[in-house]
Amino acid sequence: MGKNWVDILIKAFYIAKKDAKVYYFKAPNFTYGLLMPISLFLAFSIAGQINPKLIASGLTSLVILFGTTSIEAVAIVLEKQTGTFERLLAAPVSFFTLLLGKALSGFFFGLVIATAILVPFALVSGTAIANPLLVFIAIAFSSLAFSALGVLISAYAKWVPEAQMLSNFLRFPMAFLSGTFVSLELMSSQLEVVARFLPLTYSVEALRISMTNSAITFTYLLDVLVLALFSVALLVIATKVLQRRIE
Amino acid sequence: MAAFICIADEALVTHLQNAIAVDGLTKYYGKLLAVDHINFNVEQDSIFGLLGPNGAGKSTTVRMLAGLTKPSEGKAIVLGFDVTHEIIRAKQRIGIVPELSNIYDEMTALENLVFAGELYGVPRQERESRARELLELFGLSNRATDSVGALSKGMKRRLTMACALVHKPKLLFLDEPTTGLDVQSARLVRELIRGLNKDGVTVFLTTHYIEEADQLCDQIAIINRGKIVALGSPEKLKARIKGVKVVEVSFSKTLANMESELQHISSVDEIHKFGDKFRVFAKESADIVADLVDYARTRGLVVASINTVKPSLEEAFIKTTGLDSETMMTEKEQIKPERGGRSGKELG
Repeated sequence: MGKNWVDILIKAFYIAKKDAKVYYFKAPNFTYGLLMPISLFLAFSIAGQINPKLIASGLTSLVILFGTTSIEAVAIVLEKQTGTFERLLAAPVSFFTLLLGKALSGFFFGLVIATAILVPFALVSGTAIANPLLVFIAIAFSSLAFSALGVLISAYAKWVPEAQMLSNFLRFPMAFLSGTFVSLELMSSQLEVVARFLPLTYSVEALRISMTNSAITFTYLLDVLVLALFSVALLVIATKVLQRRIE
Repeated sequence: MAAFICIADEALVTHLQNAIAVDGLTKYYGKLLAVDHINFNVEQDSIFGLLGPNGAGKSTTVRMLAGLTKPSEGKAIVLGFDVTHEIIRAKQRIGIVPELSNIYDEMTALENLVFAGELYGVPRQERESRARELLELFGLSNRATDSVGALSKGMKRRLTMACALVHKPKLLFLDEPTTGLDVQSARLVRELIRGLNKDGVTVFLTTHYIEEADQLCDQIAIINRGKIVALGSPEKLKARIKGVKVVEVSFSKTLANMESELQHISSVDEIHKFGDKFRVFAKESADIVADLVDYARTRGLVVASINTVKPSLEEAFIKTTGLDSETMMTEKEQIKPERGGRSGKELG
């Protein structure tokens, strides 16, 4: 790894550390990230349409999606409004470093909030976790992809309501079309094609596989790879969007 | 080839002598021309002031020079680096203090400084000692561990300045450094600026306080509607209007259309109204006082007061921009929001 990349990662880490302190690790963020997905699942469970023991993967993915994007999507917009974003722009860091830092804070938050839901859920429901390391890797790549999605929304939006509207516009259809509540096999072929364009689909699938198989499968590797590609693509697009917004 | 090398060397020498070299710098926001092909140089170790009314293009100029927005046209070299292509390298050597404090209210004063040190690559072992040194310099040592949200406006401004100095920049940009501060805080900020300059920091400041520019700056550029309309040392700018006779007159009563009537007096070159007073610029070798007394007599008025005004930077400014300083200040105060409620001056 070149010296330049080390510098990028170090500075991105400092930005992430600052964001964690200023925005993330506060009680309301945890409650929103957990409450919305749990409410959706309880609603479906009461209707008797899903078996809670089988949906740990979907619930965890949804918690990561809602937990990371709810703050990430407004983080830059809020900083623009308070003027602190100028301080980051004035520093000797590239747009990409800045946005990577923003995504990293969401990434760490995703790891924490996913653990906070998965461990108690697995204990209470008796859900087995076949390979904890593969589960962790799936959570990590999901967190990065969803944080990058939040960063893109935040780079594009001009004010908080716009960012919230955009994130809900993306999150809710994803929640219903990505195999969280209804298995992909039960969907029509057209909807299954749509699902394959959504990062949540790969997150749910990777978690489901790693919770039921102790060995690495080709599908699992493909899911993780797709999540990684989503992360990179979303961050690169977000960098371009921010550049256009600012210049 | 030799001639080319000679020219290149000459350019390099010019860049090294000048902390900033600006050539035809221009910025459009959509169709709006905010900065219009400006040219100036800022000598190293000097204090340079960009003076002008609200909306003149001062902040946009600073934002281009500090790499916060890209120029639409033209070139700017800051500390030897082109702001369009080498901005990260330039940013490592410059500090910027925006008009509104941009520190994190949720963090303590010390944490804000340490974070600035992290962003600017100050070595880990030096960060905290440097932060404490700056807290001491800016009189904030006893508030080091207080949340910034609890600090006064003047303290926040000083902390913002401290954050911009954490990496020991060679060039410091200050956008309206004393706007909105109480008299004591403003004086303290001005003293700090002089101190930094004595320590070898080149200072580029924007201000709408004419007196502040006069007191602090070695060189002043007056900008109006995106164009540099005057450039030079404060004394040089004053000398430009030395030959011009300026009188301030008030009458027993202010009539409707009085300004326009006075403008029609043959010896009057230019006129500006301030409250119940008129500042009159006379044409060369005209007896303006006699003409004003005659005017009062014909309109049945009495001259309440009449004074010859010594040319000041304010006069130079008024003559150059056609604006009076009071109007400029009023405009500025009207658009001065607090944090969280930025005015129309959005990013970019």
